[in-house]
Amino acid sequence: MLKARRILALAGNTITQLLRMKILFFLLVFCVLVVAAAFAFPAMSEQQQLKLLKDVSFGALQIFAVVIAIVATALLIPKDMEDRTLYTILAKPVPRIDYLLGKYFGVLAVILAGLVIMDIAFSGVLYLRQQMVLQDAVGWLQHQQQGRADAASIAALTADIHAQGLTWPLHAAVWAIFMKAAVIAALALLISTVASSTLFTIVSTFCFLIIGHGQSLFRDYFFSGGISRMDYALSALLAVVCPDLGLFDMVDPILEGHVPALRDLMMMTGLGSMYIIGYLVVSHLLFVEKEL
Amino acid sequence: MHAVEVKNLTKLFRRGIGQKPFTAVKDVSFTVAPGEVYGLIGPNGSGKSTTMKALLGLLAPTLGSCSVFGIDSQKVAARQAVGFLPENPYFYKHLTGLETMLFFGRLTGLHGEKLKKHSLDLLELAGLTDAAHRRLGGYSKGMLQRIGLAQALLHDPKLLVLDEPTAGVDPAGSRRIRDLILDCKQRGITVLVTSHLLEQIQEVCDRVGIMAQGRMVREGALQELISLEDQTELLLKDAPPSLIEDVRQLIANKYPQASVLHADKPRTTLERLFLEVTDSQTHD
Repeated sequence: MLKARRILALAGNTITQLLRMKILFFLLVFCVLVVAAAFAFPAMSEQQQLKLLKDVSFGALQIFAVVIAIVATALLIPKDMEDRTLYTILAKPVPRIDYLLGKYFGVLAVILAGLVIMDIAFSGVLYLRQQMVLQDAVGWLQHQQQGRADAASIAALTADIHAQGLTWPLHAAVWAIFMKAAVIAALALLISTVASSTLFTIVSTFCFLIIGHGQSLFRDYFFSGGISRMDYALSALLAVVCPDLGLFDMVDPILEGHVPALRDLMMMTGLGSMYIIGYLVVSHLLFVEKEL
Repeated sequence: MHAVEVKNLTKLFRRGIGQKPFTAVKDVSFTVAPGEVYGLIGPNGSGKSTTMKALLGLLAPTLGSCSVFGIDSQKVAARQAVGFLPENPYFYKHLTGLETMLFFGRLTGLHGEKLKKHSLDLLELAGLTDAAHRRLGGYSKGMLQRIGLAQALLHDPKLLVLDEPTAGVDPAGSRRIRDLILDCKQRGITVLVTSHLLEQIQEVCDRVGIMAQGRMVREGALQELISLEDQTELLLKDAPPSLIEDVRQLIANKYPQASVLHADKPRTTLERLFLEVTDSQTHD
């Protein structure tokens, strides 16, 4: 009970710290971007307008999640060390694992809350735009067929526009973005426990982010056989250390209309959780031995 | 049981590859009895901070051990009894005074109305009630030091560790902190303090340890350490100059082995003068 309260206190403080860094300003920019994307190109076809709105919104969602996951996490522990706030905290009866978990959950809470707010804003605008597009399209169809459009063609048009509009797989894509950000944040946390500066943590995590998207290539290379021992060792090391971020790349297929199977979503969540637990355990092992 | 027991503490820091490790503290031992005020003094780099960090569990001893009320200081449980004021106030600048108190209170297991009331009481004790809702980014150094002391007292610790508590604080603030230390002593709280202001250490400490180059060079009861055994001080009030002359004559005539080294008006300290003057100005 006390442990949970302590972790909550640390997480709450991390949330306050991040919010007072004006992170919410990004959400405001996002909302302006979404509204602009929804109404900026009236000359495009209805489907193109909806696709543009989704592309822009999901681009912003992914940038928000990844940037906060890396920068916020990288800032927290090294900054506490540089400012020596860590001394005051760890001089209290606070186990180091509680400190790490508090910081991590604080960052996750900010990312999750940000994504939920952005998802709600985006869904609202997309739904409104979808209704407007549908109304215009049906009106145009009636006009083309001089008010004699049959129910079947209206239903087909409606289904087509609905498929381009607000569907549940879009929320699944937001969940995939969150899981990816959670894994990246756990990796940034691990790096920050051994890093000597914020900049090092940010740069290293970005490198792992890039490598992580090509991790499957390393794995393929590792299993291809006929490679030198050095290449074998290097590809094996990268395949073990780097998260396979390709697992979370569900956004593009979903935006193109693919409906993910529940099994795939559960698999992605399970693997993501394993990465997170693994990185947190290693972070703890490194941090508990760290001399301050 | 000792409040603090440091036994043969040695701490080496690894340096670059091929370089010999740096010895920050070598074979330091001392104990602090419950309710005692113990001063740890020494020049910069003498190993005071390293000793304190080992005592707070922030560093692991290379050799030897540290314990707080019988519990190994490497264990989290040892810190349940400890309140710590760091040298420079290391707090989150984005939090207000009250938020800082609530945050640190929650870390020690306090919560709810009790925590809030206790926090407000301690802010009042530290003279920070008016600044309770201001962010720490706008606090002066003295205010930060006082809130540091208030947060250290939040969970009613049995041992207070103060690292340079008056560094950068003006004389009035410094006097206030000194009074708080004496108040803690009266309440039976053990205090371990480091300071460069030796006069203050002398005013509050029962025992002191002097460190230099990582070693404990002198240690013991303050009065024993500073008393000059071959000299005697005689303080007279309203004595005419003729009496002083008579005393001199008496000594010269009857005790040739003794000599008067110094006879002068005692002086107040600059600190006392400063406080008297600034207090009277404030009251005017």
